[in-house]
Amino acid sequence: MSVREHELALPVDRAAIEVLRAGDVVYLTGEIFATAGLPTHERLLGCIEGREAVPFEMKDGALFHLGSLNEEGADGSLRIVYMNPTTSTRFNKHMPRLIPGLGLRVTGGKGGLSAESAAAMAENGCVYLAFLGGGAQIFTASIRKVTGIGWPEMVSHYRVVRIEVERLGPLTVGIDAHGSSLYDSTAQGASARREDILAQMRAERAVAAGGSVKP
Amino acid sequence: MPITDEMIQVATRELYSRALRKVPEDAKEGLRAAMKSETSEIARRTLDLQLKSAELAERKDRFVCSDSGVPTYFVKIGSGAVLDCDLKASIRSGYEELVETIDPPILKHVTNPLTLERSHHGKEMPLVSYDFESGADYVEMICSPKALGSGRWAALELFTFPSLEEIETYVLDVAIKAGAQHCPPVVMGVGIGGSFDYCAALAKKQTLRPLGKVNPEPVLAAMEERLKTAVNALGFGPMGTGGDTTVLGVHVDYASGHGFTPVAVCFNCWINRRTSVKMWNDGRMEWGE
Repeated sequence: MSVREHELALPVDRAAIEVLRAGDVVYLTGEIFATAGLPTHERLLGCIEGREAVPFEMKDGALFHLGSLNEEGADGSLRIVYMNPTTSTRFNKHMPRLIPGLGLRVTGGKGGLSAESAAAMAENGCVYLAFLGGGAQIFTASIRKVTGIGWPEMVSHYRVVRIEVERLGPLTVGIDAHGSSLYDSTAQGASARREDILAQMRAERAVAAGGSVKP
Repeated sequence: MPITDEMIQVATRELYSRALRKVPEDAKEGLRAAMKSETSEIARRTLDLQLKSAELAERKDRFVCSDSGVPTYFVKIGSGAVLDCDLKASIRSGYEELVETIDPPILKHVTNPLTLERSHHGKEMPLVSYDFESGADYVEMICSPKALGSGRWAALELFTFPSLEEIETYVLDVAIKAGAQHCPPVVMGVGIGGSFDYCAALAKKQTLRPLGKVNPEPVLAAMEERLKTAVNALGFGPMGTGGDTTVLGVHVDYASGHGFTPVAVCFNCWINRRTSVKMWNDGRMEWGE
């Protein structure tokens, strides 16, 4: 079966998200939010607990685990020199609450998220989109404009950056809104194959040692 | 004419800067070969995108990844090399100058592990290991920028008189635990024996061995093939969305030791960031990957 491709505009409603299936490819156009900071995720949790205001309203939006070199020029202009995904599993303990708390329809980065996050996605109508790690030039090229830098007092990649993108992608649906996760299925597959793989290695070692292969 | 402070500083700056922009040729060749053998369409698309990303970064002279990691250097001083420099101080000053001047700038990834504060500077940064080489008339420097993405999945365990089966099972289990978090297809480095510290260095250096070179030790050459097939059979695939290509190569080295046998495993992501230079007494600098 060939890979299905989708063009999505942000913000996006639940119905459009539920069309997506794990393994599909998506290109995004509109505004996204990006941060790579662990302290940022702690602060965002504080926001939904009422400790401070969110830097941006993200309802029906996309919050990605993307690190960027962003800067504000002397004239107040904003720009991003490069951006690229960071490891999402670092935020496993935050995302199950941030997805409903911020009203996210899309999240993503690299490496996927836990089953607990996948459950939060299924419940709230959200997908995880996988970026190529080491795709800085590909993803930076889709930036049309930087429209806001939240929490500028933090180091560059920890800030929350609002970015207007055009056909950001290709991004692979790693976890869909129906509980299907490519990360869980590959991990389960690897564990299931472990014994057979070890047996195969044992047989190859026996041949290499000049011994006979046990049936 | 001896090897000077300036040569060391230039090498320190250039090695790190070049490693961030250029995927080594053997790694690109590995990705191209995987494109032909990969049976998953999603995986082929990812491999294709990796090659495209590498080509774009190289052409634009920009970074492949936004995470520049922290630079680690391996310095090998040949017995015939003549040094008129403060080697350690020049590596430090070369790095300090680089973080002030590099275009584009690098993000602040140097982390104080006690406070988690991040900057461009810190204790022991850059991380440098020194060694000697008998009969060589040059100084060799290798740079390997290392970030959390693939760095955090390295592991080491101590065994007593392990069989090859125990060693290989451990390596496979480290690969299962890492899953696809390290931006595959990766190069895996494995160290066996020596001591705790020595074994870790063996594994790390094996991640920097170019792909496609057959291990001269027959036992290890066979082990490398076995482990490569085994890890790829796990099915994580490029970037973990499934496929036949999780490793481009498994490289193993060993050292004799006592009955306690450390086994160390570490990874280099698909970009395989590494650069090298040889510096001769006459001022020549030969750059490599």
